[in-house]
Amino acid sequence: MIEISSTPLVIIAILGVAGVILPVINVIRKERGSNSFYAVIAFAALIISIAYVGYQFLNDNVLPAALFSEDVIVDDAFGGFFAIAMLIVAIFTTVGSFNYMRKQNYPAIYYSLILLSTIGMVLVAYSTDLIMLFVAWELMSIPTYALVGFIKRNPQSNEAALKYFMFGALSSAIIVYGISITYGITGSTNIGEVIQGYSNLDPGLLPLALLSVGMFIAGFGFKMGLVPFHQWLPDTYEGAPPTITTLLAAGTKKAGFAATIRIVVLGMVVLNLDWTLALGILAIMTMTIGNIAAIMQKNLSRMLAYSSIAHAGYILIGLAVSPYSSLGLQGSLYQILNHAVMKGMAFIAVAGIVTTLAVTNLDKLKGLGRKMPITSLGLVISLLALAGVPPLAGFWSKLMLFGGALDATSALWWAPWLAIAGVLNSALSLAYYGWIMRRMYFEGETEKRVSEPKSVIAVVVFSIIFLVGFGVYPDPIIKFVEFATPVVGLGLMP
Amino acid sequence: MANELTEFVLVSVALLGIGIYGLSVKRNAIRMLFAIEIVINAANLNMVAFGRFLPHSGGQTLALFSIAIAAAEVAVGLSLIIVAYRMYHNIDIADFRSLKG
Repeated sequence: MIEISSTPLVIIAILGVAGVILPVINVIRKERGSNSFYAVIAFAALIISIAYVGYQFLNDNVLPAALFSEDVIVDDAFGGFFAIAMLIVAIFTTVGSFNYMRKQNYPAIYYSLILLSTIGMVLVAYSTDLIMLFVAWELMSIPTYALVGFIKRNPQSNEAALKYFMFGALSSAIIVYGISITYGITGSTNIGEVIQGYSNLDPGLLPLALLSVGMFIAGFGFKMGLVPFHQWLPDTYEGAPPTITTLLAAGTKKAGFAATIRIVVLGMVVLNLDWTLALGILAIMTMTIGNIAAIMQKNLSRMLAYSSIAHAGYILIGLAVSPYSSLGLQGSLYQILNHAVMKGMAFIAVAGIVTTLAVTNLDKLKGLGRKMPITSLGLVISLLALAGVPPLAGFWSKLMLFGGALDATSALWWAPWLAIAGVLNSALSLAYYGWIMRRMYFEGETEKRVSEPKSVIAVVVFSIIFLVGFGVYPDPIIKFVEFATPVVGLGLMP
Repeated sequence: MANELTEFVLVSVALLGIGIYGLSVKRNAIRMLFAIEIVINAANLNMVAFGRFLPHSGGQTLALFSIAIAAAEVAVGLSLIIVAYRMYHNIDIADFRSLKG
């Protein structure tokens, strides 16, 4: 039995109550404005949740990273790690929306949907049962469909929402079909029993098992933005309100990785296939196509969207080598946390630029370094960290990922190529990041400084401290990541 | 018994094929929504059929969850389509081109 004080249940209680109560308060107070009141409630709920996760970790109430349990959810370090990453993203989104939402209608519903979507993301990471996983997945997705199209008068926002909805609904349909096949051939929906069922499978059912795992990869891959399934992603990231893009790029994408690590990685290990090569090819394709497409973009949001696709490729390296190198999977988790902070800050900075200057075209960003110095500094730091420049935090996670790939060389002859492709892609990405920085600092006339949104400055300052602080002194985070990484090996059985 | 299960699964696979075909060929937003619904219902049919032939009823429970969630999803999707119709007086996906891509 799961205890009532376990982390996921407490998070559901806090965020659920806050998320449901916000629209009710709105109805009772009969007003449309006063955005900051609702924002403060949402912010407080998120801070209490993240404090509770931290408290549970400090008091050792958290199980070590276990991939299985008899219940539908498990309060383990793996879920806690993802919960922290996703709550940070939700806090970024809420704080970053302070200024952005001042000009929009219906703030109560907006913040309420963010909270509900956050519950879904957190539960995806904690769930150990396919029914729970699917319900949490939908709880995460459905609010984001509405949030992407939240600006009703804006045709771009609506078009982005429709495209996102079509692909998102298709991905849920494929996931539920995969679940149905898995249930049929193993007779259970508990992930532990599913893995056990896969491991002593009737050979005649192997094609069906392959089909189900392929459907999981496709369904989760839509949300992660892996390359054959990425067409919706740049359009959606460009058209959505930039604060919501933060939630998508840094939040829902990570939930896809959590679900993949929980079910697909181990499922493929016990099915005894040469599957690492498939994930490796996906990783290289995703990185390369994402980076090459990013070079050609003229719009800042769109460029960051393609760079986000490329980063899904880096994270996938760790998953591909996970059975042979624990360092790779640790690198993946570390990169997930770093990417949440880096991309979160980058998109919040874009939201700040959109709110004050209403431009995202790269040609119009000339002289931004003088107009909005703090936002620009944040953007530069996050771009450098995304490229993996030492001593920022992004460097250590990429080092672990590529080190993990080299570590697996004895078992996989092609693993070093993953590391080589990763390094080349990082260099390539530095080229277009450098191009943005040149636009911001070395071009343009002497523009006057404009006042920057305070909420954006708060997010930027926090992220700079995180990225630089843990870049110079990464030991505590690396220890935490080691504690949170599950062991995925051939000898492991539920 | 085994024969009947195979028939259910064949129908479900056929529905899956129809759904994927509809999604890739049709450009009308409502028709695409139909196609997605067909895929979800193919999965539901699978789950109910497997639940019937397995010793416990987990499949039926899962199908109930899936039906309820699909309803919520369609509600959001239809409202997005209505907003699009008010703006463009058209629900052809191919005509929405304000984002290049």
